[in-house]
Amino acid sequence: MSDQCPSTLKKNAKGNGAGSNDAVGAAAVARAAGGVVHGARGEGEVRSHRMHAGAGAGGGERVWKSLEEHSQTPEFREFVEREFPKGASELLTDSRRDFIKFMGAGLALAGLASVPGCRRPEHHIMAYSREVPEEVIPGKSLYYATSMTLPGGGAEGLLVETHEARPTKIEGNPLHPVNRGKSSPWAQASVLSLYDPDRLKFPHYVNPARASEGRLEATWDDFRAWAGEHFAAYSANRGQGLVFLADKKSSPSRDAMRDAVRAKWPAASWIEYDALGRDASVEATRLAFGRPGREVLRLASAKRIVSLDRDFLCGESGSMVYAREFAAGRRPRAPPDDMNRLYAIEPRFTMTGAAADHRWRVAPSRLTSVLVLLARAILARMDEGGTGTEARGLRAALEGLTVSGEPDVPVDALNEIAADLVAHRGEGLVVGGESLGAAALAVVHAINLALGNTGRTVGFLEMGDDEAASSMAGLAALAQMLQSRSVSTLVCLGTNPLFNAPADLGITADAFARVGATITLGVGRSETEEASTWSLNAAHELESWGDTEAIDGTIAPIQPMIAPLYEPSLSEIEFLSMLVGENRPGHEIVKQTWERRLGPGGDRRWRRALHDGMVSGSTARAMTPTAARSAVMASAAEAARAIALHAAPSSSSLDVVFFSEHLHDGRFANLPWLQELPQFGTRVVWDNPALVSPATARALGIMPEDYTRRQLPRAKMVEVTIDGRSMEIPVWILPGMADNTIALQTGFGRTACGVVGEGAGFNTFAVRSSGAAWVARGASLRKTGGTHEIVSTQNNWSIEGRDSLIRTMDLERWKRFGDKVEQREDHIYAHASQRLNMAEAMGELSHTPPNLSAYVNPYNNSIGEPSNADRVRDALGRMSPPVFAQGPQWGMTIDMSTCTGCGACTIACQSENNIPVVGKREVAKGREMTWIRVDRYYVGDSLDDPAAMTHQPIACVHCENAPCETVCPVNATVHGPQGTNDMVYNRCIGTRYCANNCPYKVRRFNFFDYAQAKFNGNWVGTEAFGNPRNINFIPPRLREQVDEITKMRNNPDVTVRGRGVMEKCTYCMQRINKARFESKLQGLEGIPEGFFQVACQQACPSEAIVFGDILNPESAVSKTRDNGRSFLLLGYLNTRPRTSHLARVNNPNPALVSAGRREEWEHDPFAHHGGHGHDDHGDGHGDGHGGGHDDGHGTDDGHGSGDGQLHTLRRIPSRASEDTGYLGSLSVLSDGVGDGIGSVSRAVGSTVQMGLTAMGGPLA
Amino acid sequence: MSVLFPKWLNAIPTIGAAASVGGLATVVFGTWYWATPDFFEVGYMPIQPELGFSHQIHAGKLGMDCRYCHTHVEESPEANIPNVATCFGCHAETRLRAWETQQVSWIREAYANDESIEWRRIHKLPDYVRNFPHHVHVNAGVSCFSCHGQIIGMPVVYQAHSLAMGWCLDCHRDPEASLVPRDKVTDLIWVEQDWMSEPVGQRVHEGVTAQDLLASIRQAPPQNCGACHH
Repeated sequence: MSDQCPSTLKKNAKGNGAGSNDAVGAAAVARAAGGVVHGARGEGEVRSHRMHAGAGAGGGERVWKSLEEHSQTPEFREFVEREFPKGASELLTDSRRDFIKFMGAGLALAGLASVPGCRRPEHHIMAYSREVPEEVIPGKSLYYATSMTLPGGGAEGLLVETHEARPTKIEGNPLHPVNRGKSSPWAQASVLSLYDPDRLKFPHYVNPARASEGRLEATWDDFRAWAGEHFAAYSANRGQGLVFLADKKSSPSRDAMRDAVRAKWPAASWIEYDALGRDASVEATRLAFGRPGREVLRLASAKRIVSLDRDFLCGESGSMVYAREFAAGRRPRAPPDDMNRLYAIEPRFTMTGAAADHRWRVAPSRLTSVLVLLARAILARMDEGGTGTEARGLRAALEGLTVSGEPDVPVDALNEIAADLVAHRGEGLVVGGESLGAAALAVVHAINLALGNTGRTVGFLEMGDDEAASSMAGLAALAQMLQSRSVSTLVCLGTNPLFNAPADLGITADAFARVGATITLGVGRSETEEASTWSLNAAHELESWGDTEAIDGTIAPIQPMIAPLYEPSLSEIEFLSMLVGENRPGHEIVKQTWERRLGPGGDRRWRRALHDGMVSGSTARAMTPTAARSAVMASAAEAARAIALHAAPSSSSLDVVFFSEHLHDGRFANLPWLQELPQFGTRVVWDNPALVSPATARALGIMPEDYTRRQLPRAKMVEVTIDGRSMEIPVWILPGMADNTIALQTGFGRTACGVVGEGAGFNTFAVRSSGAAWVARGASLRKTGGTHEIVSTQNNWSIEGRDSLIRTMDLERWKRFGDKVEQREDHIYAHASQRLNMAEAMGELSHTPPNLSAYVNPYNNSIGEPSNADRVRDALGRMSPPVFAQGPQWGMTIDMSTCTGCGACTIACQSENNIPVVGKREVAKGREMTWIRVDRYYVGDSLDDPAAMTHQPIACVHCENAPCETVCPVNATVHGPQGTNDMVYNRCIGTRYCANNCPYKVRRFNFFDYAQAKFNGNWVGTEAFGNPRNINFIPPRLREQVDEITKMRNNPDVTVRGRGVMEKCTYCMQRINKARFESKLQGLEGIPEGFFQVACQQACPSEAIVFGDILNPESAVSKTRDNGRSFLLLGYLNTRPRTSHLARVNNPNPALVSAGRREEWEHDPFAHHGGHGHDDHGDGHGDGHGGGHDDGHGTDDGHGSGDGQLHTLRRIPSRASEDTGYLGSLSVLSDGVGDGIGSVSRAVGSTVQMGLTAMGGPLA
Repeated sequence: MSVLFPKWLNAIPTIGAAASVGGLATVVFGTWYWATPDFFEVGYMPIQPELGFSHQIHAGKLGMDCRYCHTHVEESPEANIPNVATCFGCHAETRLRAWETQQVSWIREAYANDESIEWRRIHKLPDYVRNFPHHVHVNAGVSCFSCHGQIIGMPVVYQAHSLAMGWCLDCHRDPEASLVPRDKVTDLIWVEQDWMSEPVGQRVHEGVTAQDLLASIRQAPPQNCGACHH
């Protein structure tokens, strides 16, 4: 253990009992490369799993994607070694006999259907008639600024691309302070809800007098006539018995209409609710400051952040801002740069936890205990320094609480956190989530105030009464009224209480039936709408006028992009205007509301606001503190006494946390993009299994079944009972979950929303009660015996048998070696040639001989760097530099340090490039089509408590020496002169050789007509011969084609791919081409930096993706490519990728890391030449996790001590599938290293020749 | 045995071989001749609605410039079909009423009802060609004539060229032969009779030669797949 290895987090996938042979081979390689056996985790170090977590992702740890990979079952090995999962390339899921039966029928019909197909189809051109809409130029897209309300409040500012007035792509508004040009998956997907074929198209009516007739189709005129009469009755009693149940959202015009409703019917009730409302957070500000305030984090100035189960990076109205500001503090460009530090203490592995430097998993019941201990530690330390005097009362109150049981976070660690926060007074931040409860959150506010953080890293804005009103209290009031039958008319505005109201309130369809008249206005179908007297179709936000208020108070207009698709339809404000008898159009309502806000010169400023998509300077409304600091401390002390401390959960009394993700409260359930976007942590799609930790699953006997030869593992069904209410749900494993805790995701299990969302997942609102909306205690779990197939993408497209996919380092180490560059003969880099930076030194490249390809790339005209001197004749007969030496040459960098794994890039790509969804069954077969996937790796040995989670987005990396191109028999994938690897769909004949040869696994194959056949939710379900059958059996011509309305959302600049065609990332070729000719027409020299963005780069909230011209030294991408963290994924294969990844840098607290990890900081990744005698580690992992531990490539992660013995590399028969060329080159290396070669140049010089000879390559 | 197999049967292999060679040649020739866009695309001349639109009268006899109707061809990837208002601009009841009330009443009806006219599309690139920008070509000096033929002489428009990829590439490989002075792009008669009729080397207009035009192009016309297919 004399030395440490470079912190290559290696993918430890191979092995499986290969035992010492593996170790021997790997060690030999390691030695050969200069000795890089990892020994950072000193033996004898006793680490509890919590300490382990504290140690964080250090060096040389194993990384893994799933339970199965961690345990390495033979079935799993077989699964990942296949290009596609078993059966993916086969049509048949059913019996062959059924297939023949069905095909026979199909063929007979196909013959008939093909008769009229002989003539050339006639295409029509329908030009505009009397007038062309303003500024429309056919063939050119126009961008309009608008905005979108977020569920529960807040907004995003958007820029919508329209083609001939047809919105096709949503982008972030660069001027809007929330978005700054970025956008969330919800915003991206909102265009899909506009064209949802299952939308409500006209009103429905149930005549209470003749209920047996059921729902009748009606018109808006019918409703007007009915409403005129119905609401007239309320003018007499001032609206007694009239209840409005509205969605909680931030919109000044909606607020104005609410006031109009109240003015007209003063006795009516107006209730706003958000099913996932953060009531405790609001209540906490009321407790601490005396009145409610909207909390806005200012992470840009936060250097030390502690999050107690607050997932601020995901799903909050400020998440876009938080992700951007947080990422800005985690992007070291050069070694002197500092970073922020995040401690996360949470029950579930959240996006915030994955981004953290230290993470502890703590059951929700114990979170308040941890907070109390932490608060005590902070206040005690401040008191020592004499600065915490005003908080003495609070301290005394906290000391008065009795924290039972063993601390869930070690006291030492809490003390260190406290010290860190106190040392960074004014630039630290403590945040807490809903699960803490209002009292504990009030203490959090007091601590921030005591530390001087309030006003610097967290601010509070004024909050209106309606915004501050508790959602749960509102619903309880409604339930009370329903119970007492005092509701005569209930108007639901965009809400779906029958699906998402807490189960204990009794807001059910029966209760609805007892109300005189229920009116529901909504865009999509819903459970509530189906049970209402009147169901009215609303206009979508892209079809109507409106306005929004963002979290920071910025107001922005919503302007219609397109006339309502299903006319007539009214927006919420127009509907309310109609009810109060004004009947004003939306435009007028919004303009009138804004006149007050805009003041003098209103019309001009209104037009400016419409153009910009926001009103600049409308942000500030900071809460003016009424209470003195001492008063806040006093009320926090009061609150502290009310903090509820609980005992740790047990297997008979489990904790439950509710959380939401892509579908939120179910409103996004019918959007297939979001259903198929892999969920955070689990990568599960189309389902919401209950999540438990592996230990809990093992204890309760509910581990998912193992991989079988046939398909993916099946999850066990259980019955979760909370407070007497129970539901059946499958159970899935989430490493890093707190033990004895269940996490239930909301939004699934819709029964009325459309073909996509119906039947996907399980409705967890059924066990959610108003008193335990976020955390429930005392739950029990019972196996029911059934199983359910859960489809997770975590193992699809695994890059197997490769090393150093993930590279992380600690900040201290980066500071020492980050700017070090090793010069060496190497021809890997296209641009920053012949230099090995720190990230590359951590990978194989430092252990391989320099790549000297025998292949002369015609675009380079050389085997090395293209140079301006090597002129060649171009297409016009002019003598020009080689193609790759002429700008622009496109390249991309992806920063793993700032990637949060949110999936915005995936959805943006899907939207821009017309990528279809394939449904659950097809994803199970590994047929998902997303071009950019976000690989998620757990780091660390423990399955229950992985030290960290790291994300790595991978799309086509556009290799200069692309392996796919050389194997395509029809030249369907070829290289472009600007360095892109192009797909020519019309040439592709579907051999899939390219996918087979792609080491990055980024190619996607259209096994079926995903883009052209009508999606029925799952590509299964056509009733044929009495059983559900795969609709793909139906011959393409007879299959139901996609709706015209769905086609409208396609990007006209991108081909819609048909069946049998391979596809993959094109670097948004359509945008490149557009930029090429637009810049040319504008007379610009080349394409200037920033002239365009690719879709994923444009969407990424944390700005982790950079794209541009790598030949331009001034471009952003050149600079990130030159960064010491930049490495080429699998660069040693000499594929020369144009996309490089930036290694993740962690900033752990030096006081909380193990000695071994600290030693590693001193370890120079460049200094691994010369025999160190630590090349053997034959005993593998001492802790018994996992089987084998290496795959014969370079680095390794063993714990054993070296014995200095020299081993030779042996080919292991079970690994015959590995790339032999690489092994061959390694075997050569090992030859020369026995005597410990000292210098790089010598090692290189002596092995190049041999490497090529050994591989049989023709050496020039 | 000779009764069973008469001597003339010996010719069968020879005849068979000749027939298969001939047959193969026929198939190859047939495919090459008939199964190409040159055969089945060129000359496509669908019937336009009502009386259609005569380019011969409007662009030829009346001398209207192409861009009078195809207004955005210099600034948009699409050469737009004019909206009905453009037709109505001349064919309104208050104008040009001398002789043709009968013949253009359908245009007036369409205008009055604010309806589109269902023009039949003639030039259509396949769906997998996603990038054919008109404005780039026109601004580079590629005349309408090069792709659409002598449209000024067509009473009913038909497809003059195959629009096949090979045909595109012919020009992209040798753009010099198709470039005309920028201000003459829509002057199709001049392009055909005074410019294209000359050998490439001898084309001069106001001192500008074809070589000069080629030299003025900033980027070589792309020949890579990704330029059009994505």
